[in-house]
Amino acid sequence: MDRKRIANLLSSTTGLALTVGISFAIVVLLILVLSEQPGTAIYYFFVGPFTNAYYFGNMLNQAIPLIFTGLGIAVAFRSSTFNLGGEGQAYSGALVATVICLALPTLPGFVGGTAAIIGAILIGAFLAGLSGFFRMRWETDQLISSFLVSSAVILIINFLVTGPLDDPANSMLTTARIAQQFQFLKIYRPSKLDASIFFAVAIAIGTYFFMQRTHWGYEMRMCGINREFSKYAGINVGKYLLVPMAISGGFHGLAGAVTVLGTHYRCLKGVTAGLGWNGIAVALIAKNNPIAVIPAALFFAYLDAGAKAAMLHADVTFELAKIAQAVIFFLVTAQALYGLFNSRKKKVTT
Amino acid sequence: MAYLEMHGITKLYPTSGVLANDAVDLSVEENEIHAVIGENGAGKSTLMKLVYGLEQPDAGEIHFRSEKVEIRDPLAATRLGIGMVHQHFKLVPDFTVAENVVLGSEPRKRGLLMDRRTAVKDVNKVIEEHGFSIDPKRKVKDLTVGQMQQVEIVKMLYRNAELLILDEPTSVLTEQEIERLFETLGNLLERGKTIILITHKLDEVTRMSHRVTVMRGGKVVAVRDTRDVDKRELSRLMVGKDILLEVNRGPKPRGEPVLELKDISISCRGQERPLLDRINLQVHSGELVGIAGVGGNGLAEIEDVIGGLRRPTSGRMFLYGQDVTSLGPGQLRDVGLAYVPADRLHRGASLPSSVRENCIVTRHHDFLRAGVLQRRGIREFTKRLIDHFSIDAGEGMPAGNLSGGNIQKMILARELASQSDFILFSEPTWGLDIASSQFVYEKMLEMRGRGAGVLLISSNLDEILALADAILVLYRGRVVGRMANTERLSKEVIGEYMLGLRDDSESPSETVTSEVQCG
Repeated sequence: MDRKRIANLLSSTTGLALTVGISFAIVVLLILVLSEQPGTAIYYFFVGPFTNAYYFGNMLNQAIPLIFTGLGIAVAFRSSTFNLGGEGQAYSGALVATVICLALPTLPGFVGGTAAIIGAILIGAFLAGLSGFFRMRWETDQLISSFLVSSAVILIINFLVTGPLDDPANSMLTTARIAQQFQFLKIYRPSKLDASIFFAVAIAIGTYFFMQRTHWGYEMRMCGINREFSKYAGINVGKYLLVPMAISGGFHGLAGAVTVLGTHYRCLKGVTAGLGWNGIAVALIAKNNPIAVIPAALFFAYLDAGAKAAMLHADVTFELAKIAQAVIFFLVTAQALYGLFNSRKKKVTT
Repeated sequence: MAYLEMHGITKLYPTSGVLANDAVDLSVEENEIHAVIGENGAGKSTLMKLVYGLEQPDAGEIHFRSEKVEIRDPLAATRLGIGMVHQHFKLVPDFTVAENVVLGSEPRKRGLLMDRRTAVKDVNKVIEEHGFSIDPKRKVKDLTVGQMQQVEIVKMLYRNAELLILDEPTSVLTEQEIERLFETLGNLLERGKTIILITHKLDEVTRMSHRVTVMRGGKVVAVRDTRDVDKRELSRLMVGKDILLEVNRGPKPRGEPVLELKDISISCRGQERPLLDRINLQVHSGELVGIAGVGGNGLAEIEDVIGGLRRPTSGRMFLYGQDVTSLGPGQLRDVGLAYVPADRLHRGASLPSSVRENCIVTRHHDFLRAGVLQRRGIREFTKRLIDHFSIDAGEGMPAGNLSGGNIQKMILARELASQSDFILFSEPTWGLDIASSQFVYEKMLEMRGRGAGVLLISSNLDEILALADAILVLYRGRVVGRMANTERLSKEVIGEYMLGLRDDSESPSETVTSEVQCG
């Protein structure tokens, strides 16, 4: 690593720190104006997630599916393919995992859990892969096709969850609960944190290795940077319109499965809502680097946990919490995007 | 002082190191058609971009109507009364003619809404005044190419342009459309407009222009009254005197054919003539064949076909006797193709990627162990290439940080490393300095010396004459001349073939039978 690169890294980190600082200041200001008890509100907003094991564990737990969706988006964007269908892919992963567990209630935990996860990955990969296939075949726009497919799928799953698969014994809009043996091990009671966090970290590192060191990763990155060059050099560019999408969809399906098997144990209506969009934000902050997805997901989960704590312990309303979160996220994403475009511009002019 | 005066205009493109304009003087009189001619890369387009404010000169002055002007952007040019029709039209296909014309200076209703009716009325007035035959309410995508060009001209007139610049206006037109355009130009002249016509077609120069400025290598080499020159002299001025490049070719017996093209054609529906018209070509081992031509006459298409990036509509291609017509770039490389593309900054290299990643792109499979790329092997391979080709770069550096010459060296190093027996070079020295060009020539002759077949596609006649054993000249997608490179062959002769003044081929295909739609 030469000096220039370190300097670059430093400036981008200080830039990010500055943006975070400014956005926090705005949030403090908002709370000061709108809250009757600003001291408590501010305290819980920023420190709340660390005040007890329950909050802290839940925060970590919330980061797990975000790591997966963030990875999915990072892989797709790195390859210049575009997946805006994360919402539907994650939701369908959650449903398929639930259905597999419900259909085979007598299977041993490990076998059934694995089957549920694989099923979820496959359905996500299929849905996203469709958009990849369309683009490969007819040059359709991936942003639009993935979004449309996902929107349709969400409605279908809503119907299934509230209709044919609805659990009559439960007043919530949800399927029945999956059997005990499929549920992930809790590792930090009383919080909801389960063992899949280790799995998520390992997968993030594995994804980094895959992108940087294997020849598939290399070909995907080359296609992402310059498709004309890749084609000229003999890389099968058509294949890499589909493969990164399928991988991306697989990650989203996995995120859905983990949400069910680790946290909710059933497919509630809208159980994964937000995972897809937030995954995009996480990947943007991480600049599509799989390792950086871990802290980015944690940051996101931290904001959410803080907002929840502030709502419980102070007079912060749901709306104010959301606005505060949005301000921070808006600025941080803008900064990440700015860096992205700036570096592209530099590449062109130098 | 003349209507438009340019003095000592210099423009350097720092990225590629190309000195596009070198102390250029241009003077255009009021109410004349002034032709600016030259080969590709002579600097005509750059000069016009400076007049139209798309680029800023590094040095020099522009005077327009006896006033010193600084043209910062096209808007400033428009305000001065300067308009330009680009070679590639800048129209919105889904907008109507009127909407396209008024775009950017729309008539408003109550200061906010676009006044469509006034727009149509105003545009129609311009159209009728100048005798065009286009309906302002039609969508641009439904027009013919000739009509689109008329829209571009109307666009200028709507903005009250007095000086009209047309960049290669006939390159996309049919014969009838060209006639129509010439009528229009005559008409505009009568109304007192001044026209600059950029072209490399000598017919148009002698027929339409009053005066002509000839450019070569970024400099003005001659300014003439058109009635005082003939086509042959213009052609000689354009290509210049023979420059003896210092290369030692040496005789070499040629061997078996390595590459063969049989009746290769590319035709598109809706286009008057095929892009490539029954090209036949053989390259033998130990032979260097040169394809000369002015850009836009099929050079790029031949490059794409041989590189496997574009499938011909008909005809067959053989590499080492094997039919490879339907193979893609990767499979062709497996059969034994090495290829240095003309577009080295985009196709030949990935500028944001490291030199390492650029060097292994065609052979990264060789560095795999258990599915993982071996970093040490890659590093050693790249270092070896950097040493052997004395590339001024580090292996981890982004390729975009390299100079143009070093990028080309990197591409050469990668392509020659495959040791294949056929190599295609397309415009290999375009924009390179003399030392780098010399290096490229040496490598090409080295390949030929060890028995490889070399195909050189180039619009640079000097290098074709210095290097090639046999020369083919392309004009409008056809091989119009085919000759051995002997002492007697002169640059003038090839130049005349290139500009369509000579033609040894049979008549061109009249009918386009194919149903293929090309982009």
